[in-house]
Amino acid sequence: MVELKLTKKEAYMQQSMENIKSNTPFSEFWRKFKKQKLAFVSFFFILFLIALAIVGPFIVPYDIAEPDYNNVLTGPTAEHWAGTDAYGRDIFSRIVAGTQISLYVGLTSVFLGALGGTFFGLIAGYYGKKVDAIIMRGCDVLLAFPGILLAIGIIAILGPGLGNVIIAVAIFSVPVFARIVRSSTLAVKSTLYVEATKSIGAVPRRIIWKHIFPGTLSSIIVYFTMRIGSAILTAASLSFLGLGAQPPSPEWGAMLSGGRDYLNIAPHVTIFPGLAIFITVLAFNLLGDGLRDALDPKIKD
Amino acid sequence: MKKIYGLLSAIALLMVLVLAGCSDSGGEGKGSDDGKSAEKVTKEGKDVVVAVASNFTGLDPHDTNDTLSNSAEKTMMEGLLGFDKDMKIIPLLAKEYSANDEATEFTFKLRENIKFHDGTPFNAEAVKVNFDRLADPNSGLKRHSLFAIIEKTEVVNDYEVKFTLSEPFGAMINTFAHPAALIISPKALEEHGKEIARNPVGTGPFKFVEWKPGEGLEIVKNEEYWQEGFPKVDSITFKPVTENGSRIAMLQTGEADFIYPVPTEQVEGIDGKDGIEIESKPSIVVRYMAMNTLKEPFDDKKVRQALNYAVNKDAFIKVVMNDQSSKLDSVIAPDVQYYAQQELYKFDVEKAKELLKEAGVKEGLKANLWGANNSSAIKAMEFLQQQLAQVGIEVEVFPMEAGTLSDKIWSVQEAKDADIELYYGGWSPSTGDADWGIRPLVGGEDAFPPNAYNVSYYNNPKVNQLILDGLQTADDAARAKAYEEAQGIIWEDAPWVFLTAENTIAGKKNYLKGIYLLPDGSLSVSELEIVE
Repeated sequence: MVELKLTKKEAYMQQSMENIKSNTPFSEFWRKFKKQKLAFVSFFFILFLIALAIVGPFIVPYDIAEPDYNNVLTGPTAEHWAGTDAYGRDIFSRIVAGTQISLYVGLTSVFLGALGGTFFGLIAGYYGKKVDAIIMRGCDVLLAFPGILLAIGIIAILGPGLGNVIIAVAIFSVPVFARIVRSSTLAVKSTLYVEATKSIGAVPRRIIWKHIFPGTLSSIIVYFTMRIGSAILTAASLSFLGLGAQPPSPEWGAMLSGGRDYLNIAPHVTIFPGLAIFITVLAFNLLGDGLRDALDPKIKD
Repeated sequence: MKKIYGLLSAIALLMVLVLAGCSDSGGEGKGSDDGKSAEKVTKEGKDVVVAVASNFTGLDPHDTNDTLSNSAEKTMMEGLLGFDKDMKIIPLLAKEYSANDEATEFTFKLRENIKFHDGTPFNAEAVKVNFDRLADPNSGLKRHSLFAIIEKTEVVNDYEVKFTLSEPFGAMINTFAHPAALIISPKALEEHGKEIARNPVGTGPFKFVEWKPGEGLEIVKNEEYWQEGFPKVDSITFKPVTENGSRIAMLQTGEADFIYPVPTEQVEGIDGKDGIEIESKPSIVVRYMAMNTLKEPFDDKKVRQALNYAVNKDAFIKVVMNDQSSKLDSVIAPDVQYYAQQELYKFDVEKAKELLKEAGVKEGLKANLWGANNSSAIKAMEFLQQQLAQVGIEVEVFPMEAGTLSDKIWSVQEAKDADIELYYGGWSPSTGDADWGIRPLVGGEDAFPPNAYNVSYYNNPKVNQLILDGLQTADDAARAKAYEEAQGIIWEDAPWVFLTAENTIAGKKNYLKGIYLLPDGSLSVSELEIVE
């Protein structure tokens, strides 16, 4: 919106100045990214969440495990900003402390999934033929399950617990990453510079890592961000079902689950953790959207 | 721009959710009232709908072992004896009964001129057919175990039967009053065979019409019922409604006239509104946390007592049970026959710590707590976890699905192989007798899993002997004495953390009368009427 106020000439000058200052891909990206207002706000919100995840447990006003049986299920007050739960524990403190768990689960599980998916995607895309067919059919099988169902199945085998939730979410992230990376690989593989590298005798490993992988990175980053949102959601769902975090862990999904019996007498017990999940997931999705627009070479401003 | 719309609609959606969460407290059903003393609501017709929490498993009293199915069976069939409101034994189809001193022979005199719904006369022969069926080891009936002890049933004359037991069993009279001992029409038994579970015929106040599992059970008035003036309603329909919220909504809108159970946390919210009355009464269901007495450090009595001191039962009743239960001051609840009150373990963290120290238990002792995965059990376990943290015991809670749980507990063949440390559970002795409240739970080696429910692997020879003493006589005073002593020893040995005696909670419209839950959690509708 700010740009509109500038005259055409000024705008042109500003742009050319920026171009002079630095022309690296990063600055180009940053310039585009800043224009995505919502994504930009989300970006800072996520930075804030990460900070909260690190210092949260040390700055909360109440001990998150300390029950207060004289103050159960009180609504939001000046003392307890988000009210108290069925044991009289401060919900606000628990949500803040729970940030750590949700972010940790979201980031690690998607990172592991991306790692596996990228590996398989690169191999399938580069070698093609049989390898490609085998890997992609495997992915199709995994994709045939709804994500949450697959995760429940994996938990059923491994047993409940937060660690296993990470593994479950990671496993069902693998095929999606593999697909995306494979398609970018196919595109990059047919470019002239890869041809050139090949013709001067580079080994496949070097071609894949030095020349193709960087080309797929932007789509990985976009999908990575988007995926974190759904990973957090899945982890919360699993905890809600009693398959993830175990009490008294302040995991958001587990908090939701603990409050569902009081929906009509003390709705704040579910509303606040629900809000936390909602805003966090929304922020990651908006950031992902913004990143896609900023990183997509086809979208010119 | 598109994104902004997305965000806006997301926020709008959120607002709707928040508002929906708040609006419920008002209560929009007909005749809602802010005052506590609700106005009378009225009902047209004499057809009553009862919403219950789960499906009936069958309608053959000899082959069902859940309290809910028993409740339905009791509307259509009657036993020789029954229970009244307070779990005291009353004669039903029997006029009077007697037993010999060794508790091996029981004689019943029967009421005359009673007919089954299909016209078959009720007499001694009909009783014999029923108990022969129950006592037959090849029958495969779920309730056979309760009656396996009957050696023979003899018809003395048309209205007198004599049972002879293979060994003395002092609690037999209570077993005859158990809902498993309902009498089915011998003609119907012959006609339907196994299918009797879907075609029940008895002497009760209501006759069977139709049962569609999952949808409901319909019964109508028995015009020729032997008790003058009963039943007072035309029909009753039982509907299984598993979701707590829907059950409550049905009562609020008048779709159901009576519901049970009502979750404890909802009681305050609906009592006195929309013409709803909540009836919360002490039951014989006990809640406890069992400790495996074969495992360190719970093999030490001091540790077990320390845990009893460490748990604040007042807070447990308030937080977990929403004040809808009472303290448990023996291994059985007050309404169970031969209950003897014990001195409570008062909440005392210091004393608990001291006892733990004496027993040589260090801070940071880790223990696993198993239990069911329904929300009230999880809540209770979390509470226990918080309480035991005060004395430095780190409890890890494992809520488990019913199948997994029973697998882990009851598939253990050797006591020493049991992994169980702490277990949160409950028990309802449906015979109303001390024997069935004590023997299966803490009755020594015979009751170890997989045979019975002694999950604390408690084995005190003295208690075992007292339980045996209580069974070998039909003499009231002698039985009372044996059980009193046994309860004292069990309380002192503390194989459990004694938590609470639950309430049964039912919700009804205030035009209903004479419908109530017995202390064992089963429903009685024989005196049901609709008042203006």
